[in-house]
Amino acid sequence: MTAITVSELTRRFGARTALASVSLSLPRGAVYGLVGANGAGKTTLIKHILGLLRAQSGSVRVFGLDPVADPVGVLSRIGYLSEENDLPGWMRVDELIRYSRAFYPAWDDAYAEELRQTFALDREEKIRNLSRGQKARAGLLVALAYRPELLVLDEPSSGLDPIVRRDILGAVIRTIADEGRTVLFSSHLLEEVEQVADHVTMISHGAIALSAPLAAIRESHRRVDVRFAESRPQPPSVASVLRWDGGGQEWTAVIRGGSGELQSAVAGWGAHIIAERASSLNEVFVAHVGTSAAPAEEA
Amino acid sequence: MRSAAAAIGWELRQRHRWGLMAVAGYVLVLAVIRFVVLEDQRVHFDDVQSFALVVGVPLTSTFLYFLAMFSFGLSGDLAARQSMYPARMFTLPVTTAALAGWPMLYGTAAMAMLWFATRFLGMWPSGFDIPLIWPALLAASLLAWTQALTWMPYALPGLRVIVTVLWLCVIDAVVMVALEYKAPESVMLLILAPHVPLAYLTARFAVARARRGDVPDWRGLFVRLARIADVLPRRRERFPSPARAQVWFEWRRHGRSLPAMMLILLPFELSLLFIFSETPVIVFETLLAVLLTPPFMAAFVAATASRSNPHASDSYGLTPFLATRPLTSASLIAAKLKAATWSTLAAWLLVLVAIPLALRLSGTFPLVIDWMRRLFESAGTPRAIAIVLLAFTGLLASTWKQLVQSLCIGLSGREWAVKASVFVALTFLAIIVPLAHWILGDKVATARFLWTVLPWIITVLVGVKLFAAAWIAMRLHDERLLSDRTLVIGAAAWDVIVFALYALLVWLVSTLWFRSYVLALVAILAIPLARLAAAPLALAWNRHR
Repeated sequence: MTAITVSELTRRFGARTALASVSLSLPRGAVYGLVGANGAGKTTLIKHILGLLRAQSGSVRVFGLDPVADPVGVLSRIGYLSEENDLPGWMRVDELIRYSRAFYPAWDDAYAEELRQTFALDREEKIRNLSRGQKARAGLLVALAYRPELLVLDEPSSGLDPIVRRDILGAVIRTIADEGRTVLFSSHLLEEVEQVADHVTMISHGAIALSAPLAAIRESHRRVDVRFAESRPQPPSVASVLRWDGGGQEWTAVIRGGSGELQSAVAGWGAHIIAERASSLNEVFVAHVGTSAAPAEEA
Repeated sequence: MRSAAAAIGWELRQRHRWGLMAVAGYVLVLAVIRFVVLEDQRVHFDDVQSFALVVGVPLTSTFLYFLAMFSFGLSGDLAARQSMYPARMFTLPVTTAALAGWPMLYGTAAMAMLWFATRFLGMWPSGFDIPLIWPALLAASLLAWTQALTWMPYALPGLRVIVTVLWLCVIDAVVMVALEYKAPESVMLLILAPHVPLAYLTARFAVARARRGDVPDWRGLFVRLARIADVLPRRRERFPSPARAQVWFEWRRHGRSLPAMMLILLPFELSLLFIFSETPVIVFETLLAVLLTPPFMAAFVAATASRSNPHASDSYGLTPFLATRPLTSASLIAAKLKAATWSTLAAWLLVLVAIPLALRLSGTFPLVIDWMRRLFESAGTPRAIAIVLLAFTGLLASTWKQLVQSLCIGLSGREWAVKASVFVALTFLAIIVPLAHWILGDKVATARFLWTVLPWIITVLVGVKLFAAAWIAMRLHDERLLSDRTLVIGAAAWDVIVFALYALLVWLVSTLWFRSYVLALVAILAIPLARLAAAPLALAWNRHR
């Protein structure tokens, strides 16, 4: 059964199209990384999943429910940590916990206390007096303490120090350890996503550029360093190459699929491959959504 | 743009272009009327209301707008300790003198031009000696001091408001005293001339201090008070339901504002009973003012309570924290209504405790008992009891109504809806006073005509209200925001209350004055329906954009 199903979702803000016919299906029990540049449409997609935006066309279902028509049914099963970190500043930490647990019958007091101690949150401290990292920890505490079926983290570690980021990643790992729970994790920090995600969806200009299991992405993308006999102003064009980087005699290609086609082409150009390895997620991301050096029209 | 002066000027002009265009349009209309329509023939308004409508209201509104615009007050936090000068401008490669000086120069010049335009193009009451320069200097001084004092970092939250208001009142008081003694223009100029330079020096000091992050902090002095508050027992047990938790949230966020305001205002108001205990008219007026204070102040509290997100820069949208509460929009509204009820009861409890106490201590109790005795004698005991109860219930309901009736606007989350409603309300207030004066003044025939058509006016209003309520009920039903059962119970409860009020009015008010169907229409208009029912719809519109 799927946790989230998005079908042909389109969203426009005035003349700008934030999401263009996005379709996505996330089965339960895995960690999904949603990656994209700033303004790519990640937060817009998450807001549709939470029911904070109404689908202009297409549909969104969370656990089979429409989040706009049935906000209680959907939101009571979701733990959400907002990028905006908008916890009420006037509340004390213990008041935030007391208030939040009223909404979730499955709230686990012992787990909440464990998280509070792990995150070193003073129960008497007001939220407004907490540092940015502590606020993120407090937000994570109330998002996790009822062991939600779906945890949605929208840019959770943006602007935070490495220790808080480690706490957040640790929490994600603990959550997926609980059987059957699902995590949707939006970030532009690809190294983080690479550490925890089972499945990665790349979004660019409101459209899905790539959506596949992380292992499959790693297997299907290679980075190949090529040395040409002479300096070249532009790289040659090869169908399997997603992106060329470099200059002069040395160029790096990110390719999809096997490197056979590129190897044949290299032999034909009188060049040779000096290194080949699996692409990092960062390289794959840049290859799919970044702008590449324009290849020359050359066989 | 080749200079900092041009860049700062461009930013102010660009950001407020619509407001400035409206001001320019107003001045243009004045000029066209003066020079084209009237061909420079002076036409004087002899009644104050017309003058207020054509000159006073736009002049005052523009003056206040300029105060907010040139002090960057529309984007800053008035209650914060930090300077209201935009922090992003501190990193510009510009001297502090320029940062403080250019907005002040533009602002004071705009104030002076506003005065001269009104002075030379406006239509003034005849026989009134319009001063030439000093009002321009006064407006410029008030603006310059507002800038200096709002840009200053303060040691305590809220201190900015107190210091600024007090200092501006002092300047006003000096001018009023000078006018009382009929000071000539030269003396007025002498009094006002030093203000702008002094304000500039203060502003420069304020911006320099803010720029280097020098914000004094006296909050430590209140730590002991905070410790006393900590000793007080705090509820730690579970909330029995999500709805109760949400009521607690609303009470903590907005509910305490009205009782707190009453706690501050009541001693000042009731002190008049001690000062004027021998003057029955003032005792009566003081008690009337005290009784009208809760509904009056509730309107101000509602302005913040109905905003979706009063602490964020985008104060019209709903925070994700609140929007993702697993509650229906109707439950979120119900929590707001319950918190408003508690707020109303708390405010009135204070009033009901304070008034008898003040009456007894000031020795004015016998006076009030005598008034009550006369009421009972003239109206009869049952009617007198009903009148007192109706008046009290009306005040209580009016306070609650003031707190909740603007929810449907504020919670819509649309800036244009909020600003348009404020504009309509201000326009209505600006028009209704002169209009009422015109109708009720010496135009007996007009008043009689309006009295005749009053039932028709009320009928149209009732029609609009019921039509709006029906449309809202259909939307609530279609969008499944309220269940059928809740809609039916709500409608039935409203009917019962309207019928009870109608029966009471028929019993109390002579049907010789009003026909009974007019009383029924009044009862329908008096009990909130459409705007209250629209609140869940507005919140859902905001929550699911």
